[in-house]
Amino acid sequence: MTRTDPLAILSAPPMSIPDLRALLGGAATTADAMLAEAKSDRSRLPVLFPSLPRRCGRDMVRGGRKKFGPATVDLDAFRQCDLVAAFLLLSLGTTEVEAMDLYAHGDIEERAMLLRALHFLPVGPLTVRLFGEVQRTNVVLHLEAALCDGDLFSRTVGQPGFDLGAANRLLLKFAFLDVPLRRCYDAERHANAELSRMLQDLATEREAAGRAVWRDTWRVIGRAPCPGTLARLVGGLEHGDDGVRLAAAEGLLAADRKDLAAFARERLPREPRETIQAVLRRLA
Amino acid sequence: MLIFEPHIHMYSRITDDYERMSLAGVRAVLEPAFWLGQPRTQIGSFVDYFDTLIGWERFRAQQFGIHHFCTMGLNPREANDDRVNRDVLSILPRYCEKDSCVGIGEIGLDDQTAKEEQFMAEQIQLAIRHGLPVLVHTPHRDKKKGFERCIAIVRESGLPMQRVLLDHGNEETIKITRDLGCWSGFSIYPNTKMDPARMVAIVQEYGVERMVVNSAADWGVSDPMMVPRTAVKLEQAGVPRARIEQLVWKNPIAFFAQSGRLQEATLLQPARANLRDTFDGNSVLRGQDPDKM
Repeated sequence: MTRTDPLAILSAPPMSIPDLRALLGGAATTADAMLAEAKSDRSRLPVLFPSLPRRCGRDMVRGGRKKFGPATVDLDAFRQCDLVAAFLLLSLGTTEVEAMDLYAHGDIEERAMLLRALHFLPVGPLTVRLFGEVQRTNVVLHLEAALCDGDLFSRTVGQPGFDLGAANRLLLKFAFLDVPLRRCYDAERHANAELSRMLQDLATEREAAGRAVWRDTWRVIGRAPCPGTLARLVGGLEHGDDGVRLAAAEGLLAADRKDLAAFARERLPREPRETIQAVLRRLA
Repeated sequence: MLIFEPHIHMYSRITDDYERMSLAGVRAVLEPAFWLGQPRTQIGSFVDYFDTLIGWERFRAQQFGIHHFCTMGLNPREANDDRVNRDVLSILPRYCEKDSCVGIGEIGLDDQTAKEEQFMAEQIQLAIRHGLPVLVHTPHRDKKKGFERCIAIVRESGLPMQRVLLDHGNEETIKITRDLGCWSGFSIYPNTKMDPARMVAIVQEYGVERMVVNSAADWGVSDPMMVPRTAVKLEQAGVPRARIEQLVWKNPIAFFAQSGRLQEATLLQPARANLRDTFDGNSVLRGQDPDKM
């Protein structure tokens, strides 16, 4: 196993190793012992890694949404073992080859752990490669681990190998698997007309099949309209599903089209939901 | 009645088998690493196979509500093959730490060669290092002598007998193993090895302490429903339900729980069966609507 490709190529980690260790709580002692073992014999890393959940615990770290350097994560969504994984990988200066080996031969939980650890590692080629793995598969757990409860997606857009086209495909998978967009922090910032077209096409397919449409569709397309967007947004105000109507109203708000205010005014007296009424008033 | 099938090679079975087993009460299966019917010629084939046991096969079982566990090891047939035997030993430690790996196996003797003995002994030491129990395949030919040799190797290793399951037993071997403190496995086959009626006789004579029954179903003439069938035969023969439950549920759990990676409470609920999920982009649906499965 070569060690010629350290992870820290394109950026610094979001937080220092001591700061990361401070988050480990009761698992810190075990993490130190595992680190010492892996440092003395590098080949032990693939043996130690699968045992992390058992030895360090699956309890949630807790602490809510926190900002660490350039990164934002919701610690409520991370487990002790996820952070110990990040601590080990960072402290060992794990190479991309080593990390990909852990991923390739890991079970579903190990892979999720590695993807969670990415949030605490420098953004770089490993992030892009593992996003590619998430894109290739449809394991919801892995999509959530890599993209949700943090802003890793947003921080990775623009890295070599992860241009807007790749980002659009990953967000489309988000829609395909029906994961709420709010869990992928700042993702809406990357809305663009091509993504809107892709989402609208998916919505049309779903509608033709009589299946539900990803609700965040309306929120995203409102930020970057493409042909057909405005009609979809206005039509969404009359949808029978409360969530869709709210998303359509918010999409219209993002589209910032004063000429469509009349539709909001017309809907307002008939809208039964207070939260939606509030958005419509801002539109009207 | 819930059933833990403690020896079955689902790798070689179809989804219909999973469905029938699930409907018959099979809540968990143990898939021992074994050979594939023809020799593997390179270590990569083992790596892919082991990855399948912790990955795709586990996922496939979950689609039918079945918890999937495995044991890892170099089987005795391929212990004789110098193209792969040493390399398999070198990759096993990482797989021994996988969460669904609850033992080392199936190791043991087949042709009863010196190499088989050497690799069996080495893998028992691996089990000791990783705190795992051992599933021992015993020979189908010259079985009594092979059983005795397996027992001798275990004794030499220092591994406590209660952490050893000697599998593929019969009326003859139970006389050897019943007082040793180890566990005895009985593989119920349609035509060979044991059959349900013979198993009923063994239970009536020896009880169910430290005994498990399995189908050992693989790609050969075998039947993954043999544990449920045997349970029915035992009940029809008047064996109390509690004892049958001990045989087909409590006992296998007790044996593999020695790994520290398996708890009965977890198994009381069906495995997560989200038919919308895929594994590495692959599903069992083949285009079918998951809501109509």
